[in-house]
Amino acid sequence: MLWRYILKRLLWMIPFLFAVSVVSFLLIQAPPGDYLTTYIAKLAESNEILDQSAIDNLRERFGLDQPIYVQYFKWIANLLHGDFGMSFEWRQPVSELIWERMALTLILSFATLLFSWAISLPIGIYSAVRKYSIGDYVASTLGFLGLATPNFLLALVLMYIGVVYFGSDVGGLFSNEYVNAPWSWGRFIDLLKHLWLPVVVLGTGATASLIRIMRANLLDELNRPYVDTARAKGMSEFWLIMKYPVRVALNPFVSTIGWVLPNLVSGAVVTAIVLSLPTAGPLMLQALLSQDMYLAGAFVLLLSSLTVVGMLISDILLVLLDPRVKYD
Amino acid sequence: MNNIWCRMRRPLMASAAVALMLTPLSAWAYQDAPMLEEQVKAGKLPPVDQRLPEKPDVITPLNETGTYGGTLRRMLGGSNDHNSILRIVGPQGLTRWKADWSGIEPNVAESWEANADATEFTFHLRKGMKWSDGEPFTADDVMFFVDDLLNNEEFYPSAPSNYVVDNKRMQAEKIDDYTVKFKFAGPYGLFLQLLATPLAQEPVFWAKHYCKQFVPKYNPDVDKMVKETPGVEDWPSLFKLKCGELESPARWGNPARPTLDPWIMTDQAYTAGTTRVVMTRNPYFWQVDDKGNQLPYTDEVTMGVAPDNQALLLEAVAGHVDMQRRKIDTLANKPVLAQAMEKGGFHFYEATPSSSSTMTIHLNLTHKDPVMRKLLNDKNVRIALSLGIDREEIIDIVYQGVGQPWQIGPLEQSPLYNEQLSHQFTEYDPDKANELLDAAGLDKKDAQGYRLRPDGKRFTFNVNYTGIEQPDWGDALEIMKEQWQKIGVELNATSVERSIYYSRGEANDYDFMVWQSPGGLDAYFDPRDYFPIHPQGSWQAIPWVRWYLTGGKEGEEPDASNKERLKLYDEFKGAADPAKQEEIFKKILQIAADQFEMFSISSATSTFGVVNNKLMNVPDKIPSSWMYPDPAPTLPQTYFYKK
Repeated sequence: MLWRYILKRLLWMIPFLFAVSVVSFLLIQAPPGDYLTTYIAKLAESNEILDQSAIDNLRERFGLDQPIYVQYFKWIANLLHGDFGMSFEWRQPVSELIWERMALTLILSFATLLFSWAISLPIGIYSAVRKYSIGDYVASTLGFLGLATPNFLLALVLMYIGVVYFGSDVGGLFSNEYVNAPWSWGRFIDLLKHLWLPVVVLGTGATASLIRIMRANLLDELNRPYVDTARAKGMSEFWLIMKYPVRVALNPFVSTIGWVLPNLVSGAVVTAIVLSLPTAGPLMLQALLSQDMYLAGAFVLLLSSLTVVGMLISDILLVLLDPRVKYD
Repeated sequence: MNNIWCRMRRPLMASAAVALMLTPLSAWAYQDAPMLEEQVKAGKLPPVDQRLPEKPDVITPLNETGTYGGTLRRMLGGSNDHNSILRIVGPQGLTRWKADWSGIEPNVAESWEANADATEFTFHLRKGMKWSDGEPFTADDVMFFVDDLLNNEEFYPSAPSNYVVDNKRMQAEKIDDYTVKFKFAGPYGLFLQLLATPLAQEPVFWAKHYCKQFVPKYNPDVDKMVKETPGVEDWPSLFKLKCGELESPARWGNPARPTLDPWIMTDQAYTAGTTRVVMTRNPYFWQVDDKGNQLPYTDEVTMGVAPDNQALLLEAVAGHVDMQRRKIDTLANKPVLAQAMEKGGFHFYEATPSSSSTMTIHLNLTHKDPVMRKLLNDKNVRIALSLGIDREEIIDIVYQGVGQPWQIGPLEQSPLYNEQLSHQFTEYDPDKANELLDAAGLDKKDAQGYRLRPDGKRFTFNVNYTGIEQPDWGDALEIMKEQWQKIGVELNATSVERSIYYSRGEANDYDFMVWQSPGGLDAYFDPRDYFPIHPQGSWQAIPWVRWYLTGGKEGEEPDASNKERLKLYDEFKGAADPAKQEEIFKKILQIAADQFEMFSISSATSTFGVVNNKLMNVPDKIPSSWMYPDPAPTLPQTYFYKK
């Protein structure tokens, strides 16, 4: 049953992604002007002057003189062959630009997810079981503070402290010697050394809300009759809580996995820019700002696909986790 | 043997120094950076005298002879900040600006001659000069650009205007391996200066031995390469991706591309993914100092990439930036940096602006509404609007008291300075303004006290400005709004996103536009406010620009005065004699002064850059301009670190 369901979902993804590609292409095109107008504007900002003939040449080369549907079909036809087209702004093939950024984004999302779960689950459980204790109040206060502080502000403060008091290099995900190096054990370790800062910054907000969700859900479950039954049968208190109420309370955690990635890309852009993180967010924002259609389009499509896949994964996990969920 | 020679070289140098002043540098005299000496010893590089041209370009450093080593650290703002690299590594063209911007001097070309009517220019290249990969640089490389690219319509459907005169593309003739003659269809008096501007290195930009592999004429397999490369549809795109083009980040993205720059890209090149760009010394760089040391002095230039200007400022505060103006030189940043100066170990240099004013009101002389158009073309109305502005008040409040009331025009230190153009009607005189407006047919007022136009509508200016980039304009416009209210003129200003600003502008859909005025020191190269020449900048009359640029096919015919100026400008471009050029240009400025088409608030003021205290040979004052791509003409290859 489940396999048929998965297959159906996968098939549905095709028309869905097609629709997403059309809509995103239209949206990117919606602001007035095109890539070249923003490009000229950007140059004019520092009083730089571009030759008119160079602009004409670019417009022709990028096909910006053609109607929008022609541009779209050119793009989608190349895409079916695995060619993402040329980034206007970087004048580099889009495929060269996106993969490493996407990989780093995934690593960062995953690390942030693990971090916030690792902190919020135990604290959430503790706050629920020891409701209105000192520990509960402390955890809740810290959690609310984390939730209330904008991520980018926290990032700026941490960076400022780092620069002014420790003279350390801040920003980025790698040390200088590893920035453009090929992947190696050393580079991986270097990444881990830098990863904690963005993970902490990005994780604080999520952690706080997850603590509250866990606490509320668990409180609902703790008074259920099945808990009393289990307790009456003499089950140890720790296993009792872990095995049943916590498992049920995990439902919202699992069902939001699919959102983690798009959230991190769209919600964390400002933080990523402040911290100079080489993730997808800043590049996509820049591509959208400068109407770099093929680059922005590629990101939107990839993120949509990942979201769809992520939602599928959370649905599958839900079935495994919660016996009440059924798919037919 | 080799070792002894190395040890002997320095003492020998000292005694030879005096003789060097008198005789041309002979081959044995050249000194190598330690970093390259090692490679020579290891047999990876030929000795320095074989890497330099027969007669290298000899540079006298600004203050003192430098020592080798160290890294020059700079920052790039996020994406598309490629011109920041250009500004330090330098536009290595045939000619270059003198450091004080007083004229040009030889650069890649050793010398040149022009014929009397400035239609033919003969350049002599440096014998034995080499690309960064060690291959010889000769006239063939120049001819490759002219014959295979410039005159190839597939590559340039429309040619860069630097190489077009009378709608005909430049031609060239190879005299011998080191001599090329450029030929134009008509006189081209500014050509030699233009070659020193940032986007005019095409003749010496592409190494034929490397780039020809992307041209079908030389390589029949290009089609296959095009198919194999994603994102590329034809050979010109492939060529530009691999071999670079002047105005694109891809220029700095391929470390394999040979160049003539003092530093060359390493595998940490400038691509979209990178957060740090590293350039290392070009072992074949063709300049030496006056003691025979091959330049550059510093081993590396590194550029961190920070998409956020605040993060970039933070790096400067921390003293992680050795020399930079771009992206940090705002008035608001100066106190922050001044406070951090001692701890960060840096000081300021003065960046003298080439612009004329900080904020110019470009009234739309080609307004779509005929009533408004008639009013704005009335010089007395324009005078009244200018007299209705209290510039001192705006300067005090918005510009922290820096700057003086000013219209437009070349700065006082320029030989082109025109007192009338820059100072007329800058006084605040609301009575006179009211009088002039009454006389211009705006003598009726509505209930709110605003003047009514002859057709009964209120005399109103609705204005868009780019507030994110230039918040000061918004502040100034707010004050102007109150001041104009006193003379019965309504002003509504709205901040808009810049592409909206540009599309309104190109659609000729505005009452006036606000932008700063260039042309303070670079009037010859950026005269957009003196007559309609710039399609995204001469906001006083965009349709007139189109008329001029399309030879009368599009747009709208300018008025007699502007047509006269455009005619004079053509004459100016054709004049070979600098004295004649100056004379014609002064005439143009005088007409612009008499017409009084636009007005400004305040003169442009100096900004600043930061310099590491240990970095030597950096001038205290550097012009900052696009046409003078600071700091490159001050020759950063001569900057060095004091131990």
